[in-house]
Amino acid sequence: MKERQIDDQLVIYGRRFSSRLLLGTARYESPSLLDDAIRAADPAMLTVSLRRQVAGSADSGQSFWNLLRETKRTILPNTAGCLSPHEAIKTACMARELFQTDLIKLEVIGDEVSLQPDPFGLVEAANQLVRLGFQVLPYCTEDWILCRRLMDVGCQVLMPWAAPIGTGQGPRNPRALRELRERVPNIPLIIDAGIGLPSHACQVMEWGFDGVLLNTAVSRADDPVRMAGAFASAIKAGRSAFLAGPMIVQETAVSSTPEIGRPFATDFSTPLATAT
Amino acid sequence: MFVIVNGVTRPLPEPRTLTALLISLSPKTPFAVAHNEEFVSRGDYAACRISPGDRIDIVHPTAGG
Repeated sequence: MKERQIDDQLVIYGRRFSSRLLLGTARYESPSLLDDAIRAADPAMLTVSLRRQVAGSADSGQSFWNLLRETKRTILPNTAGCLSPHEAIKTACMARELFQTDLIKLEVIGDEVSLQPDPFGLVEAANQLVRLGFQVLPYCTEDWILCRRLMDVGCQVLMPWAAPIGTGQGPRNPRALRELRERVPNIPLIIDAGIGLPSHACQVMEWGFDGVLLNTAVSRADDPVRMAGAFASAIKAGRSAFLAGPMIVQETAVSSTPEIGRPFATDFSTPLATAT
Repeated sequence: MFVIVNGVTRPLPEPRTLTALLISLSPKTPFAVAHNEEFVSRGDYAACRISPGDRIDIVHPTAGG
């Protein structure tokens, strides 16, 4: 057995996880459904956010906070909805104090329709956050230059999208994603956004990605708990397939059953000139 | 005289510090605060002076993806 199969854990900024699934906590119909989905998914991390208290609400996020703490999962706050580096940085600072973690899922959105990351703002924000001691997980695209710039400023994990957030389309640009994986074999790459089906998750794991971050694909399924379990299985299957080393695709058919000894076959090895 | 807390007008407290404002509002924990769109860490609440018209954001944990 190869070494990578013996100690196969996801390592994010020195933290080790046996699960390769990161689960979002939004858009569940009830807290109990979220709780059950977390149990079924067994995620490495839970993504969370911060918002103003809703007027008239007596809860102030306290029940959500209690639920989070009871799961004992690693919390990954995000900067969702931020449209500038400045906004993202101050949100990250508030998240750090609120959730008591240096981890931050950095989102700097450049287009409010596609929710595509702003590559320029993302690099600027990542640079400053790394200097402030944050452990930055940037939500980015598969663009190689952007990914390189993010690594240059100190990001030790990248989270390229598969497709726009919440679309469930699956990997839109498989070639570029696979090229990115080849270019950065030693940095954790987590597919974030656009995954809709367990088969999408399995596929990117087969390509060698290190993990998958999901939210809507689970929370908006008809049965989120069952879907959470399906994704957990798919991610494990994809990872196992990657570690197993898939066969090389062939251009032409290759019989899997041995030809030698097949009954009624013409034996071309026998000289034809023996008949008289 | 007033300040704007999470978009809602509130009386300016005495003394005019963030600590005094938070005592009057008693937000449930956990929370984090921004003053005029700049983050204020917990240890700086007492030193943070607020003036009429200042904007205060108080945020709480919420679900996110």
